[in-house]
Amino acid sequence: MAHQGSFETDGIVKEALPNTLFRVQLEDGSLVVCHLSGKMRMHFIKILPGDKVKIEMTPYDKSRGRITFRYR
Amino acid sequence: MINIKSKQELELMKHGGHILSLVLYEVMGSIRPGVSELELDQLAEKLIIEKGAQPGFKKVKGYYHTICMSTNDAVVHGIPGGYKFKEGDVVGVDCGVFYKGFHTDMAETKLVKSSKPKIQSPVEKFLEVGKYALNEGIKQAVLGNRIGHISKAIQDIVEVENGYSVVRSLIGHGVGRELHEEPEVPGYLVSKIEKTPFLKEGMTIAIEVIYNMGSKDVVLDPDGWTIKTQDGKIAGLFERTVAITKGKPLLITS
Repeated sequence: MAHQGSFETDGIVKEALPNTLFRVQLEDGSLVVCHLSGKMRMHFIKILPGDKVKIEMTPYDKSRGRITFRYR
Repeated sequence: MINIKSKQELELMKHGGHILSLVLYEVMGSIRPGVSELELDQLAEKLIIEKGAQPGFKKVKGYYHTICMSTNDAVVHGIPGGYKFKEGDVVGVDCGVFYKGFHTDMAETKLVKSSKPKIQSPVEKFLEVGKYALNEGIKQAVLGNRIGHISKAIQDIVEVENGYSVVRSLIGHGVGRELHEEPEVPGYLVSKIEKTPFLKEGMTIAIEVIYNMGSKDVVLDPDGWTIKTQDGKIAGLFERTVAITKGKPLLITS
């Protein structure tokens, strides 16, 4: 059976939750709970509320995402 | 997490893949004008159970058939219904088998015709291109290559050389204890080849070539499963499960 691939969107971090989870607001206004990707954890990249970030999401669960990039 | 399969697990998958290949070959051979989709679904289920395995798609939540039947403008996930095939229909059949704990996944597309005309129609060329793209993609599935190499091979043949379009929202996937596992194996380059994962020995992936004659856009049908082309043109689907070995890729489904 074919699988739907994950896609990337941008968002702004609204608040920081415990365990490197963040509530991110997407361009269409919806709020998504995202976790920090392993690569960013390894390199100690800090994310604060107000940062613009790139999120990776799966079409199968629109309420979760993974932060993969922090824009300058 | 990409699951690596041991030699014994690969043997089990090979057995399951062999069963799937036989069943799908029979189903494709039974596609004739006047046969209905549900008949083929029941035939596939009967054959799979006779050979001692279980229909893999029945384990998918919300899906109650053995095969996905995608005719003409349906790209994937068509639910088998009472529709009877006519001459000239392009039928895509996707089937999965669950055998001794492991899934295998395979798909093939066929043009329904009762006679063999001498000139190759554009639809036949479209399907030939898909098969060729799948074979070239499988050739790239060797140790040392990345997933991007497979994606690039498929995209180059389908889009660049022949002008069709690869569907972006649907991808190949890893196969094993779950029907859909990591990694994602898209038919087009999502990012630079260097950024895609390496292919390791013991990985089992389902390489899928999902492509349209027209544009790449697809829409979800109101039934919640079937995905159709937005412009209504014909779509093709070819898929094989492949294991990465030290030498040539091992075709689990052939």
